[in-house]
Amino acid sequence: MSMFRAKKLDLGCFTNVRILRDHSKRKAFEAAEPERQALRYIIRNTLLPARTRAIAQLQLTQMHCYTRPTQIRNRCILGGKGRGILRDFKMSRYNFRMQALEGNLPGVKKASW
Amino acid sequence: MSTPRLIRPLRPLLQGQVPRAAPRAAATQLRTYASVEQPSAPSAAKASSANAPAAEEAAEESGKKNRVSRLPRALEALYLKPLRREAEYGVPTCDLQLRSYSARNLEFFCDFALRAAYYLNLPAFGPVPLPRLVERWTVPKSTFIFKKSQENFERITLRRLIQIKDGHPDNVQLWLAFLQKHAYYGVGMKANVWEFSKLDVAKEMDKSVDETAKLMEGKWDHLAYVEKKAEPEGKPREQLPTPEALEQFIAAERRRIAGGR
Repeated sequence: MSMFRAKKLDLGCFTNVRILRDHSKRKAFEAAEPERQALRYIIRNTLLPARTRAIAQLQLTQMHCYTRPTQIRNRCILGGKGRGILRDFKMSRYNFRMQALEGNLPGVKKASW
Repeated sequence: MSTPRLIRPLRPLLQGQVPRAAPRAAATQLRTYASVEQPSAPSAAKASSANAPAAEEAAEESGKKNRVSRLPRALEALYLKPLRREAEYGVPTCDLQLRSYSARNLEFFCDFALRAAYYLNLPAFGPVPLPRLVERWTVPKSTFIFKKSQENFERITLRRLIQIKDGHPDNVQLWLAFLQKHAYYGVGMKANVWEFSKLDVAKEMDKSVDETAKLMEGKWDHLAYVEKKAEPEGKPREQLPTPEALEQFIAAERRRIAGGR
């Protein structure tokens, strides 16, 4: 979906095509969020005429899939991995362990209790 | 409260200020600040005594018992516990929370904040150690089939609370700005500030509205619905529709959407 992709690279982290795709999805969602919320409101508002609500439902389903929040997936900023991401550090478990052992993450230490 | 014995003040000896006025001290003992506490004492001691009354008292006692050389009072106060002002009413005006991963940095900066509060005339309480925040992560050491061998990591956030009571809002702002300016590495700060005003807040707000209305008078033109440049001179500006017209329009629109029903 190249129409959502930025013409110039606008990311500073590790890049591969999956990271770029996820990034453009995030931007598309951000841009379309007010519209989505307005349509959702119309659909759920029982005071509005049924026809209006049905039209809103159709419009919401016809929006591009990139504007859906469920399309967004957290990815590792160091390797682009899509699974096993620690939300606190935006890193996959392996990269987190490497960085933590090197001491690059402030305050993170080996724990023993 | 032990005074550093090894550090000898140089000035009185070099300048020869301590002289005949205190012959008994000059005869056998060291000439120190403590030994020159006569009416003719150097003015530096007086100036610092205003800053550090508590330290002075303690120092005077020790000075009378055993005359020991020591630092000027303002400097000596740095080695002692931070001084504090007394709160008259005990109304909290500011809660400052300091967070860090290292106890050393945190303690140091708390001490600094307390001293700054003293010299800004703010009664400070604390540092109160708040509960630590412990976050733990467990990750497999290697690929997923070796789930048996894992590694634990943790991050412990230490927190301290410093409360200012009866502080003048300006002084509190000044204190916070000073702490921010001299922020220490690895220490985060967050502050809750409370301000108190008189009971008739509404009247004051009304007054301020009148004042701002005058300021705003010239600005309304910038909020124009139509762009000003486009219209020629002398022509009346395009008006916004009246409320009645708007209502009619909205009703018509509703009817249209509902399919004429």
